[in-house]
Amino acid sequence: MSISQPQKKRAEGVPVASCWNCKGAVTGAHFCAACGKIQPLPGGWDYFRFFGLSQKLTIDPAELEGQFHILSWKLHPDNFVLAGEFERNLSLERSSELNDAYRTLREPISRVEYLLEHLGVRKEGTTKQQAPPELLEEVFELNESLDELREARADGGDVAGLRGRLDAAAVNFQEKLAEVDAGLEAMGHEWDAAIDSGADDATRGALLARMNEVLNRRSYIRNLVAGVQKELAEA
Amino acid sequence: MGRVVGIDLGTTFSLIAYMDAQTSAPKCIPGPHGSALCPSVVSVDRDGEIIVGDAARQRLLTQPDRTIYSVKRLMGRGVADVQSELKIFPFRIDPDSDNVIRVRLGDRTFTPPEISAYILRELKSWAEKYFNEPVDRAVITVPAYFNDAQRQATKDAGRLAGLEVLRLVNEPTAAALAYGLHKQKRGHVAVYDFGGGTFDISILKLISTTEGDIYQVLSTNGDTHLGGDDIDNLLRASARDEILRYHGIDVDQHPQLVQELRKALITLKHELSHYDSATAEGVPLSNGELFKKSLNRETFEQLIGTVVGRTMVPVRLALADAKLTVKQIDEVVLVGGSTRIPLVRKTVGEYFERAPHCELDPDEVVALGAAVQADILETGVKTMLLLDVTPLSLGIETMGGVVAKIIPRNSTIPASAQELFTTGVENQTAIDVHVLQGERELAKDCRSLARFQLKTPPGPAGLARIEVKFLIDANGILQVAARDMRTNEQHTVEVQPSYGISDTDIERMLEESIEYAEQDFADRQLIEARTEAETIIAATVKALADPRATEISSDERKAITESEAELRTAMLGPDYKLIRSRIDELNKATEHLAEVLMNGALQTAFEGKRLDDV
Repeated sequence: MSISQPQKKRAEGVPVASCWNCKGAVTGAHFCAACGKIQPLPGGWDYFRFFGLSQKLTIDPAELEGQFHILSWKLHPDNFVLAGEFERNLSLERSSELNDAYRTLREPISRVEYLLEHLGVRKEGTTKQQAPPELLEEVFELNESLDELREARADGGDVAGLRGRLDAAAVNFQEKLAEVDAGLEAMGHEWDAAIDSGADDATRGALLARMNEVLNRRSYIRNLVAGVQKELAEA
Repeated sequence: MGRVVGIDLGTTFSLIAYMDAQTSAPKCIPGPHGSALCPSVVSVDRDGEIIVGDAARQRLLTQPDRTIYSVKRLMGRGVADVQSELKIFPFRIDPDSDNVIRVRLGDRTFTPPEISAYILRELKSWAEKYFNEPVDRAVITVPAYFNDAQRQATKDAGRLAGLEVLRLVNEPTAAALAYGLHKQKRGHVAVYDFGGGTFDISILKLISTTEGDIYQVLSTNGDTHLGGDDIDNLLRASARDEILRYHGIDVDQHPQLVQELRKALITLKHELSHYDSATAEGVPLSNGELFKKSLNRETFEQLIGTVVGRTMVPVRLALADAKLTVKQIDEVVLVGGSTRIPLVRKTVGEYFERAPHCELDPDEVVALGAAVQADILETGVKTMLLLDVTPLSLGIETMGGVVAKIIPRNSTIPASAQELFTTGVENQTAIDVHVLQGERELAKDCRSLARFQLKTPPGPAGLARIEVKFLIDANGILQVAARDMRTNEQHTVEVQPSYGISDTDIERMLEESIEYAEQDFADRQLIEARTEAETIIAATVKALADPRATEISSDERKAITESEAELRTAMLGPDYKLIRSRIDELNKATEHLAEVLMNGALQTAFEGKRLDDV
């Protein structure tokens, strides 16, 4: 897959700029088609576009890795040691973006989070947690068990028995997490289908909102599990 | 433009290598004694001359207070960090040390980068003599687990030595580079690098693309305070206890004895890699007795078991981070002198369920890899690419002293993160940012990297919007750039490193160093001759003081004393040939005395004067 394709249809929303070196037209590709010089990152860019992908959530990991290797070879600062400072900085900018993009897109969860953040549905850094309503009872029981364990440690109660219960609860929640992840994957396919079929804003917006909700629940469950494991590690 | 080289700046030994254009293979450059290994030891003469390498190592015995080894352990660290080291290393830290350590050698103080710079300059001079051309650029290797301050200190050292540092390369990655050339392997490789002072484990993936080979580091872990030195210290502690118990002497009170003991024990350690048991050369004690440590391999392995065990913890963590199991590792490579120890090879082999590779000289392999990378960077032509990672998570301190991680550990570098900062209270004119490295949750448990302030005009809280871009470059060193989002202007940021020498101080050091011009051949000969003279004089004085020396005649004693005096006189002058001939004369004059002492020592040993039960 070639990196600079001047004949490629211009990606929507990306302004045509001129190459800093030869003034030829560049459409956000990594290198100028005419003179081959590395280009600055344009505004309105995103990690998907960086890899020449559309904003779809299903990505073949082997293909992504292959692209990562090809782009690494071309963009790495090693190629620009003899170039001027301007180009060296561009290389630093692009290769760090490449690495950040790969790191994010490679894991399904961070991929979804990124998409939602980029589309303004989710605010970066704020992990909202939402207790899944169907699990409320289990969560309640779990918190009770945790309290009891802490008391038992202090008073010398049946720590072993309580640990056993918590272990089971942790396993239970891990399974729930796996279910949530599977659900998210399915939603990912829904999203991709929506993109392919040119679904309207309302449909896409609704899908995004549902995915956001799932991410919040996932956060909650993950924190629960982490909390339990931390408590178990202590005794 | 001068020549380009690759340098392994090691804890115990340093090496310099280059790419031989004719063979297309990297090659180490030998020093004046024919060895490619330059001991990382620096000594300061009374005249202020700096001596590096073999000559300096000899001075560890004669002038321990003017000589330093393992300075790599001090690079990029603060005084508080090294307190535990001071108990087992004879570092003399100047009380005036602030955020950069100052070490006392003789009556002068030096920072660790300055001392490392002397080692680099020595290697540079080897290369310049070898090529008969100037050398001005280098790739220098660092432990993969070195943090930002430690890397910056290494870069500073390069600069002080008059070298443009093209790149800092991680030692295991460099070894993989050298190894890959040799073996043309593909797949997952674990590089286990156990050196003099540091331990690194790196898990790499070797990929072949149509353009060339990529060495992609998947994860790295390690301990910047775990090495052969720790094994030496265990031996030393055990010997110290014995000497105290059976000879009633506290070794720590005699710095010269400490160094002689260290030298003997290191040789013993090396021998135990080849033989099942060994005896160290006798170390004369102040009461005339001779201490000879004997050890068999079994006991040695029991002694060092915990040190070797400690190396396996980062190995497990690195595999977990790489999301690989032991079975998925195709090759294991051993790097560093300490991997010659049979227990190490056995432990690593058992863990990875395969025989580790050590065909390449574990001492040279890192320098060779650095030379390969140096060649790539010089010509801009690459046949291979190193994709390395940052070993530690980068974070910023947030409210409550909690660290928010912005770049996770084992991220491929270059890596970046953007953070938006704003004011918290009305009319706040400066936003403080504290950058840290580490995996812990609280700032106080992480490594402080740097602090800086973002200046902003007074206004309502939350109005200011300054975007800070944190970038970890290909060297693994942090760069910071800030932009005011409202004006879209670059916002200058003055970063205060938590540990390290400021730029102004480096400039000053560079100016001062020009005064200490490169030494020419005759100077070097003179220094070496003087050093040798000191060694033999010290030995003579000690021998004459030995109780058994009464056996020699007073005429002989007079002859020795006169010869010694002549040598001392010669030392004051600039004629190194004269010094050498006087050394020969003194050697002749003390031949008989040496024999007498040797016989006496053997007798003592045979009289069953117990030194070691094993």
